[in-house]
Amino acid sequence: MPDIEPFSPRGMFHEGWSAEVDDYAIVCGWALKGKLFIVGDVVGGLYGFEGDTGKLIWKKDEAHSGGLLAMSIHPNGEIFATSGQDGIVRILNCNNGEEIKAIKLGKGWVEHLSWSNGGLYLAVAFSKKVYVFNQDGNEQWGSEEHPSTVSAISWSNKNELATACYGRVTFFDIANKKTNQKLEWQGSLVSMQLSPDGDIVACGSQDNSVHFWRRSTGLDAEMTGYPGKPSHLSFDDSGMLLATSGSERITVWSFSGNGPEGTMPGELCHHTEPISSLAFSNKGLLVASGSRDGSVVASFLKNDGNGDPVGAAFAGDLVGDIAWRPDDCAIAAINAKGVVTVWNFKVRTSSSSKGFK
Amino acid sequence: MSIKDKVPVTILTGFLGSGKTTLLNRILSEEHGKRIAVIENEYGEVGIDQGLVINADEEVFEMSNGCICCTVRGDLIRVLGNLMKRRDKFDYVLVETTGLADPGPVAQTFFMDEEISSEFTLDGIVTLVDAAHIDQQLGRSDESSEQVAFADVLVLNKTDLVSDDALDNLESRLRDMNRMTRIIRAEKAEVPIETVLNLSAFDLDQILKRRPTFLEPEYPFEWSGVYELEPGKYELKLEEGPDPEMSLVAFANQGFSEEELKEGAEASVRLYAEKAKNLEPGNTIPYDEHISLKLQNKGSKSFILDVVKTSKVGLFTQHTAEEFNMKVLKIDSQNNVKEIPFKIERNWVAEHEHDDEVGSIAIERFGDVDPEKLNTWMGRLLSEKGVDIFRTKGFISYSGNPRRIVFQGVHMLFTAQPDKEWGNEPRRNQLVFIGRNLNEKEMQEGFDKCLI
Repeated sequence: MPDIEPFSPRGMFHEGWSAEVDDYAIVCGWALKGKLFIVGDVVGGLYGFEGDTGKLIWKKDEAHSGGLLAMSIHPNGEIFATSGQDGIVRILNCNNGEEIKAIKLGKGWVEHLSWSNGGLYLAVAFSKKVYVFNQDGNEQWGSEEHPSTVSAISWSNKNELATACYGRVTFFDIANKKTNQKLEWQGSLVSMQLSPDGDIVACGSQDNSVHFWRRSTGLDAEMTGYPGKPSHLSFDDSGMLLATSGSERITVWSFSGNGPEGTMPGELCHHTEPISSLAFSNKGLLVASGSRDGSVVASFLKNDGNGDPVGAAFAGDLVGDIAWRPDDCAIAAINAKGVVTVWNFKVRTSSSSKGFK
Repeated sequence: MSIKDKVPVTILTGFLGSGKTTLLNRILSEEHGKRIAVIENEYGEVGIDQGLVINADEEVFEMSNGCICCTVRGDLIRVLGNLMKRRDKFDYVLVETTGLADPGPVAQTFFMDEEISSEFTLDGIVTLVDAAHIDQQLGRSDESSEQVAFADVLVLNKTDLVSDDALDNLESRLRDMNRMTRIIRAEKAEVPIETVLNLSAFDLDQILKRRPTFLEPEYPFEWSGVYELEPGKYELKLEEGPDPEMSLVAFANQGFSEEELKEGAEASVRLYAEKAKNLEPGNTIPYDEHISLKLQNKGSKSFILDVVKTSKVGLFTQHTAEEFNMKVLKIDSQNNVKEIPFKIERNWVAEHEHDDEVGSIAIERFGDVDPEKLNTWMGRLLSEKGVDIFRTKGFISYSGNPRRIVFQGVHMLFTAQPDKEWGNEPRRNQLVFIGRNLNEKEMQEGFDKCLI
């Protein structure tokens, strides 16, 4: 249990709704243009809640025997995919949770899923291999074995997929079935984020550093000095700021001007325990962070990466994931106890009794 | 989170064919009321329904800094990272490694990765050894000697295939390599479950409770004799021998029984750990003290034994009495010399040279150490020799600190934590290093310089 005292929503956080799922909630996301909020728990339970009220619309038990590992919601918000320890990828309907297609990959964990930017493809990381399927679940492409288990996948444009593993980031052209680029660096890459234009590749490494490459210039840089491994990375929608964290502190690198090389990053210290989730808003320079201590904070950042908190709330326990609603007017957090909380996010008016001190 | 809330993890190592799978199956099928999650690196032989079994390929991740101590097992970080989210559903994790696995990165994962160390605690390393084949394996591969070196428990398996003599030799060879391990003999991997689970092997307090001096007795003396003496003055006479000096401890009240001799030996070990006091011929031998008889002079040398009341006097000597033709003589007022023979004698296995590259070094000293000096020494030792030092365990007495400081480490990583209070116990230090090609003398001298 977190050591901090529970507190009421502050600043731009306002009471919304809350609900509970059966187990440790690990993945979540908004669908149907914010009308639906989907949550997955560790044992494979899937839940569809009404976005405004939190009313349970559908529920699916044990979607993956052995446990759920990943979820990705299609950009159109109508379908989503899940995967688990059973080696299966499922494509489901957001409206009712009904299964559209089950793809059996074999014995092993399917740890990462990602719909391409246009929604044409679904990328799937299965141990050392990566597969790409279309919306109907038909295989379009499969990779060779990577040197180690694939630790992250991300689309750089509608046809190009990046994979990270021990010592390497690889770019694959899916439409033309070829390898575009290999970026090598000896280190265990535990997380990866691409800038929205696909030029900057940022990876958190097990040796407590963030490594990034600029594909257009071929230059790379290593940012060291993190107290823990930077498992959480997030780019803002313009690609100017990269928020990173491997401890209770958030370090924000700014790519404006000649940065971030040789610049001082912004530092946000709002939590008492390490960050467990990190997400920029869909638009603008708002970053939300969730911590093992159960707190959720939203900060408004300046171009140099520094900034101030604009609101905070208590989610009750370790924050497993956070998600901004597509219109950025609500933030959802799920926790290790299976509690789902959604706060409305708006400017607090003077008439409020719980004013921001 | 306190250590009690963390999920304990046991690592099971051993060469292919040593019986790991048999042991694993036994653990999983036995009624112990515990739900155990197993991470397997060797595929296929354990049934899924017996417990939560996860297969994972061994993935050793070295860091860009090239430091071997930062090398971790990526597969464990991934799998445990997922398991921790369902920790209420199991009480214990067992990691079965392949026969070729280096236990270092496995153990280091529990020190190096904050996320893992915040939820799991390394409970112990169990190494299975095929009694019939280990002798050859030790000669051929580094992995097998490292697996022996890292072990908290060594299960000497398949003992039915090997003669008792061969087993004794093997056991003493393994013991030389790793002095802090517990060796258990087994046929068909049949060992009590509690000897491999919940070892708390990294919890030093447990070890010390089990064995107050966890150093196996390898005595610094070769001989002891007990003499029944009436009150009076006696002469301890030595002829020329192999050394210009000899260490000795005398007790005024030493029993004859094996039990009492062992007690005496134990007490002598402690006294031998202290610096010896030099004693020139002609002087009286003090009781209960480590002394070094000075024997440089030609011819026979005599020392005085003063007996106040009838007693059984025990002598624990560095070399055997025979080597110096050592005698206890009673000289009466008429200058009649009478030899008093010992009532009982016993030979002890002395410290000896170790053949294997991998071995243990024990440092045991009474007194306090200077924390700053010790930190400097340990820091330098581990940075220079960290690659070759596999495990470190022990406790230290810091001057001015009422608590015992407990040390434990894997390669260069170590933790030092205050433990229970000393109370009336004599202040002392015990450290064991297990590693490759370690220089015992140099390390002991280094440590001695930290003593106050």
